[in-house]
Amino acid sequence: MKTQELLTLQGLHQYLKSLPAIILDKLYNHPAACLATFRELSQLAKHYVMRTLFTIQAIPTSTISAWVNSQHQKEHQAALNQLTEIRIWQSHTLPGGMQGIKLNESFRANLKTALCGGGESWYGPQLSKADKYQFTSEALDLKSKERWECVLHYLVGAGEDLALSGEIQSLLNNCGLVSKNGITAAGFQFLLLDRPSQVWYILLQYLDSAESLGMDLVEILSFLFQLSYSTFGQNYSTEGLTQTQLTCLQHMREIGLVVQRKRKDMKFYPTQLAINLASGAKQEELDHSKSSGYIIVETNYRLYAYTESPLDIALVALFCEMMYRLPGLCVGLITRESVQQAFTNGITANKIINFIRTHAHPEAKKKVTTPIVPSTIIDQLYLWELERGRLSCSDGVLYNQILSSSDFEALRKYADDMGVLLWASPAKRLLVVNRDGHNHVKHFWKRNKQKD
Amino acid sequence: MVNVLKGVLVECDPTVKQYLLHLDETNALGQKFVIEDLDDQHVFVTAEIKDTLMKKIDAMMEQLSYSSSDKQETK
Repeated sequence: MKTQELLTLQGLHQYLKSLPAIILDKLYNHPAACLATFRELSQLAKHYVMRTLFTIQAIPTSTISAWVNSQHQKEHQAALNQLTEIRIWQSHTLPGGMQGIKLNESFRANLKTALCGGGESWYGPQLSKADKYQFTSEALDLKSKERWECVLHYLVGAGEDLALSGEIQSLLNNCGLVSKNGITAAGFQFLLLDRPSQVWYILLQYLDSAESLGMDLVEILSFLFQLSYSTFGQNYSTEGLTQTQLTCLQHMREIGLVVQRKRKDMKFYPTQLAINLASGAKQEELDHSKSSGYIIVETNYRLYAYTESPLDIALVALFCEMMYRLPGLCVGLITRESVQQAFTNGITANKIINFIRTHAHPEAKKKVTTPIVPSTIIDQLYLWELERGRLSCSDGVLYNQILSSSDFEALRKYADDMGVLLWASPAKRLLVVNRDGHNHVKHFWKRNKQKD
Repeated sequence: MVNVLKGVLVECDPTVKQYLLHLDETNALGQKFVIEDLDDQHVFVTAEIKDTLMKKIDAMMEQLSYSSSDKQETK
């Protein structure tokens, strides 16, 4: 059974790389964006930026390559690519005709501002007076968690009546995490990601769809970068935000990146989810402290989920037949049908096992002598999965009635070299190539015949 | 002279292959679909039959499987 990674997580750098030059140049007009991109660079690239930050003239390429000795040219090249890809370094012809490199001017100016201070406040006027109904940090965490779980709920289809706007819903539908029949394999994998990666994934999808919603990408990006450098627990004013940014604010409010008391309220609070966006480092500890496990699986295929959260229950119900629901506890049975149902949705046995392991109840983890997931369950899950793979089909083209064995051998070798051979039997002089390879092999055969 | 036939290469274990041949012989799916019996684990069939065939095999596996007694016990 093939298990492929369905979700590829792009980093910020890859994302920026895919943007057109004109958008990148505009983006560098904001200190927050410059600092965030700077943080994402590799060590060597950071070093290069720092070297050129205060040098106004262009620097000859030869000088730059002399910075690194010949042993480390590979790293040098990588750093150089990294910088030119996202237009931080631009090539520039020196007066003497030599090739040189220059730091992007707006990037230079704004990174300087970011590092040395000065310039306008990143936010416009912050509210100096304390909010009458100041949110505590716990309340903020709770609110953002609530909102984010709404998104996850939507994915597992646990709450159709949840207050998600049409825009966010269509965003989730478009990124392939849910289909008409419920959650997809990619969606399940998404649920297993840690929280910051989830947020990042959704945001990338959001940015991709932003333009179709008629929003300006640069404004959204700089707003998001501003958010990520704000202070947790501090309130910020919506004054000075553009119309696009206000719309974006409402979207972010919906998925829990900011908290706002009322839509019309002039103040908003960025939450941890937003602040951790561009911090560069991975925040695993952040996620782990929050989610303690709740699942215990017994050898009799019973699964106990010590939880009240409808999201957790819906997740378990993806591969379990639910039996009882008690306060604080749900009992389910792992049956062949329920697991087969999960398999048809593209969830693999490995994913289920990983899911149980990562969400195991502390009691299950405590016992060192017994594995978290009993081995009978693991084996059975694999067996059920194998059952589905009793036959595998691949579209192909059969060649028969090949007259001589030398012809057969020539065809077989050619198809094999092209990597399109599916099956061959010298005794019967039969061979099967895949659909894509058929044309190549046909042409090869025609050429071969002409030669004779 | 080479003859070319489009279809689907099915890879399976010998028992399933025998079942496929049986389906073909008895016209269980309403038509003949095996183009070439290649070897123990491979059969070449017509492309249109693929989905029907998959359903048929699933149905067979469904019949064969034994539902867990644990459920009855707890009910």
